[in-house]
Amino acid sequence: MKEGKEKTRPFSRHLVSKVASEHLSNFNRLLTEMMASSEGKPEVLQDIVVVEVGQANFPGIISAAILGEFGAEVIKVEPLEGDPARRVSPYGASVKGVGIPFFMESRNKHYITLDLQSEKGCGNFKKLVSKADLLIDAQKPGWMDSLGIGYRQLSQLHPGLVYVAVSPYGHFTSKAKETCNIPDTDLTGQAGAGYPALTGNPEAPEPFNYPLKAGVWAAAYMSAGLAVAGALTALLHKRRTGEGQMVDVATYDAISSWQGFSLVWGFTFEMPRVRVGNFDWTLFPYGYYEAKDGYVTVAAPADPDFRGILKILGRWDLENDWRFVFDRITDDVEKLKVLEEEFKKEFLKHTRQELVRKTLAYSGQAARDKLRAKGFPIIVETQSPREVLQEEHWQIRKSFFEVELAKNEKVKIPSSVPKMSDSPPRIKRVECGLGADNEKIYEKYGLNK
Amino acid sequence: MLEDYFSYTNEIFDQSRIAEKPEALKGIRVLDLAHVIFGPVISKWLALFGAEVIKVEEPEEGDPWRTASYWAKYWKDSSPFFQSFNPNKYFVAIDLKKPKGKELVLELAKKSDVVVENFRAGLVEAWGIGYTTVSQINPKVIYISCSGYGQWGPLRFFPSWDLIAQSMSGVARLTGFGGKDTYKLPDYYGDFFPGLLGAVSVLAALNYREKTGKGQFIDMTQVEALMRIMHNWSYMDLTGEDLKSTGNVDPTMAPSGIFKTKEGKFVAVAIATDEQFLALLEAMGKMDLAKERRFRETFDRLQPENAEEICKILEEWVKEKTEQEIIALAQGKGFPASPVMDDWRMVNDEWRMERGSVVEFEDEMYGKGIWPVPTVALHKTPARLKRLSRPVGYHNHYIFQTLLGLSKKQVKELEREHVIGYWGNRVGQKPPAYYDMESDSIFNFDQGEKK
Repeated sequence: MKEGKEKTRPFSRHLVSKVASEHLSNFNRLLTEMMASSEGKPEVLQDIVVVEVGQANFPGIISAAILGEFGAEVIKVEPLEGDPARRVSPYGASVKGVGIPFFMESRNKHYITLDLQSEKGCGNFKKLVSKADLLIDAQKPGWMDSLGIGYRQLSQLHPGLVYVAVSPYGHFTSKAKETCNIPDTDLTGQAGAGYPALTGNPEAPEPFNYPLKAGVWAAAYMSAGLAVAGALTALLHKRRTGEGQMVDVATYDAISSWQGFSLVWGFTFEMPRVRVGNFDWTLFPYGYYEAKDGYVTVAAPADPDFRGILKILGRWDLENDWRFVFDRITDDVEKLKVLEEEFKKEFLKHTRQELVRKTLAYSGQAARDKLRAKGFPIIVETQSPREVLQEEHWQIRKSFFEVELAKNEKVKIPSSVPKMSDSPPRIKRVECGLGADNEKIYEKYGLNK
Repeated sequence: MLEDYFSYTNEIFDQSRIAEKPEALKGIRVLDLAHVIFGPVISKWLALFGAEVIKVEEPEEGDPWRTASYWAKYWKDSSPFFQSFNPNKYFVAIDLKKPKGKELVLELAKKSDVVVENFRAGLVEAWGIGYTTVSQINPKVIYISCSGYGQWGPLRFFPSWDLIAQSMSGVARLTGFGGKDTYKLPDYYGDFFPGLLGAVSVLAALNYREKTGKGQFIDMTQVEALMRIMHNWSYMDLTGEDLKSTGNVDPTMAPSGIFKTKEGKFVAVAIATDEQFLALLEAMGKMDLAKERRFRETFDRLQPENAEEICKILEEWVKEKTEQEIIALAQGKGFPASPVMDDWRMVNDEWRMERGSVVEFEDEMYGKGIWPVPTVALHKTPARLKRLSRPVGYHNHYIFQTLLGLSKKQVKELEREHVIGYWGNRVGQKPPAYYDMESDSIFNFDQGEKK
């Protein structure tokens, strides 16, 4: 707590009046009580049944998990041998017999097996879907249709069904047809959205100068988020009109279409951006710098922020040449490198803590400035995941959920996002046995064994 | 059969018929107190699907992203990026520091279903326009506060940017080649992904309200959203080791990577399953590798030394093939592959046009342009672009008269008192130079005497 307090103190000063600061500590107390626990609170989707099918398709798996966090009863239908997604994991690390990504996204899910290619399995599936509100189809485009259980057929049976299709190039357009055999992965999703083309250092020796993959599943999670947003938009329409519909997500277009920068840039300037390493195209300084003992992250792009950094680094001599945003945001990258080199040298002279402390001291003073002209330069330690876990803030907020494997053996997964006052998303259980819920679900929905 | 299926889907998703279809979020009013990216993209989603979004900005300045643009280049006196985060919205400018300004915002909040804000944590509370105030005058309100670390807890006042959130969540250290270098996720992933989950939570709350009539408070944070996508937490607990950056190899898939083709282009290939592996081997004409113990099953291939071997074999193979050959084989045999696209290629991508995630749109103020729309297609209630952004305060008269029932004279009075305002004289805030504001009927809106 002590560390946390110290960190925030300078930044709370802008909330000057005593009345406001009292109100804010009351507000903090209120929220801590109101938001910290989901216990006993209703769930947004507790009246909704979701069926998920898919083949090694994580956007499908993740989107079903998110719907489950919001309270839907999610039933994942797998072939008798299981979804191969169960075996996808960093270096093959496994937990409860499955890989980490599958384990993480098993939250609140029910697992049943059905052979959709058999008549009986198909019949059971139809029975199940007829009682469901939402179906996530993360199979190859057209595969479900070829079995007689695509949107075309199911919507006849159940007009209220929201059918969410998730695939690399979507379920319509000529390209989708041409590429319908190409499966989804996060990496190829990133590439299809032009994401690696923006990252990495073009001046490094081969192959370190290649377009560079984002080190998290940026495409898979963006696709899943889009699928859920689409599903909930369609569900709202269904609640109002009773009408279902088909929702289609193209995972190879998720990042590009939602972030949109690539397309806007391409259209406006009629060329691709060149890769500029850790530079930013819009902001400077805005990046990672090496300090004596590791990296710090610097965000100080506005003119007053930038001047603050110069003061913190003791380099006011640079001020005259780089005074305005437009001096520092330029397509003349060579010119900018001069300033960048100066910055690199300066940061290397200090430890991370020194830099953070200096910035906090500066900001504390700047916050008292009546004209607010001193800016808000920010420097933080570039934390590794292990360092993140030390932060008490996340413990207070219960940002991680521990799954108990055996006595004294627990594994952390990230909690549901976000926190909501009345009907928050939550993790109720994490089980991932193949066909583990067959008995219960078969009986509940009257499926034939 | 497949032919048949795609003609069916092409028909139901026909882009030329979007305008005649209903909107899912019609009738939902959103008060958008947000700025930069994180908050504005939440209401972007809602606006594209039919909600009425009223964006409140500071007079003179407006949203800081108005004046920010890549390499400081603008399009028709506007930031094209600001345009893309703020489609279909109404733009009013209110001085929140004036008591009358606050009253005005509260009047708008009273009439709204959703309020979105992303000031530093606690600021709207201190100003008296936060959830505790708004929920008293509008108990059904869905109020989403977006911040770096949340509205409660010791870190709450700490400032955040996309990049700071990447650093505070641990994401910052995961892109690179495992050595000293580390790269950021480009194009503000730390704003866009949390923003997307913000939209998800508002939609969830709208579903809940539709059913129960109840509103609620949502505490959306950038850092928790980024933590949600990381495998590192479980990996550390299970193995005691850190999961570091791994260059272009995805350690969950073997082989995987970004490789150089014969003609010097780049393609990504990643193999997630045994079936995909066999498909790749078939394409490579190396079926004998399937028999080797070290490559036989997914978990075997994922062992670091085996993964490295099989990646090398793949790399050598790609070197001898063109991009087109690889993509054709991926389709023919069924393994995941994609060209590494770039900005210019994507703009010219016929697929994206046909799909409607890139649309050509003619705006009354800005004319023709090409704009991104989320790749999510809803066949009965599709998203659509109706209007680009407008200068600061453009809809003042329109909104205050039609929604709050003020007369033109009363709005003029607010102008004189500087409670509401308009653009400053900077590119991005003001109308395009060629545009005739004097004869714009919305800007000069007058609904006449109240009946």
